[in-house]
Amino acid sequence: MTNKKTKECYFCVNNLDVDYKDTRTLRRFINFYMKILPAARTGVCAWHQRKLTAAIKRSRIMALLSATHK
Amino acid sequence: MSKTKTAGITHYEILFIVPNKFTDDEAKTVIGQIEKIITDNEGQITHREYWGKKRLAYEIKHNAFGYYGLFEFDLEGKNLATIDQALRLSTDVLRHQIVVKKAKTEEEVAQETKIRAKIDSKKAAAEKKQEEKAKILSSSPAVSKSKEKTDKRVDLKDLDEKLEGILNAKDLI
Repeated sequence: MTNKKTKECYFCVNNLDVDYKDTRTLRRFINFYMKILPAARTGVCAWHQRKLTAAIKRSRIMALLSATHK
Repeated sequence: MSKTKTAGITHYEILFIVPNKFTDDEAKTVIGQIEKIITDNEGQITHREYWGKKRLAYEIKHNAFGYYGLFEFDLEGKNLATIDQALRLSTDVLRHQIVVKKAKTEEEVAQETKIRAKIDSKKAAAEKKQEEKAKILSSSPAVSKSKEKTDKRVDLKDLDEKLEGILNAKDLI
């Protein structure tokens, strides 16, 4: 399921801030097992990937996202 | 959430979950109490949000549902620990999270709207181009494609017949 088309960073291109409350966009960067996808696969730049991992973990703490798929 | 005492006023955001044992109205009073805790510690609330009853992604202390509330407030860094402590000890709050939020100035907001408009116009242009391409492509090759499909189906039928023939032959042996 490698996505070769998206080589641009989603947050840079759309000028968006990474928000831990916005689970719908965070879902794009998580796989079926609720694991965080590597930046090489999603095309997110290193600066935003750091924000993204922190945001996903924050939303897991607040039970907005699950840490496992069950 | 930082526990270090920083000098000066910073902009914070707090998200909290009120357990499901309360009704909707009771949850709102609990949220009022939380607001009071913040204002008592010289915090100035700038933004309020109430998300209502939501399903939690996983159970917290046997609660499958919770009421979500959100505040944005300006506070002196040294008072943050007392608010955090009060909420942690409270049984009326399932979980809370205080996050430093960057307060945007008017200039930054104006610049963002400018960039957003540029991006939108670019996207619209790209979509138009794609539509034109699709129109050119859809005129001729679509017909041939449908023909190919029907041909394949016929082939499959033939194959099935052949297979049946072979199977029957094997029975004879």
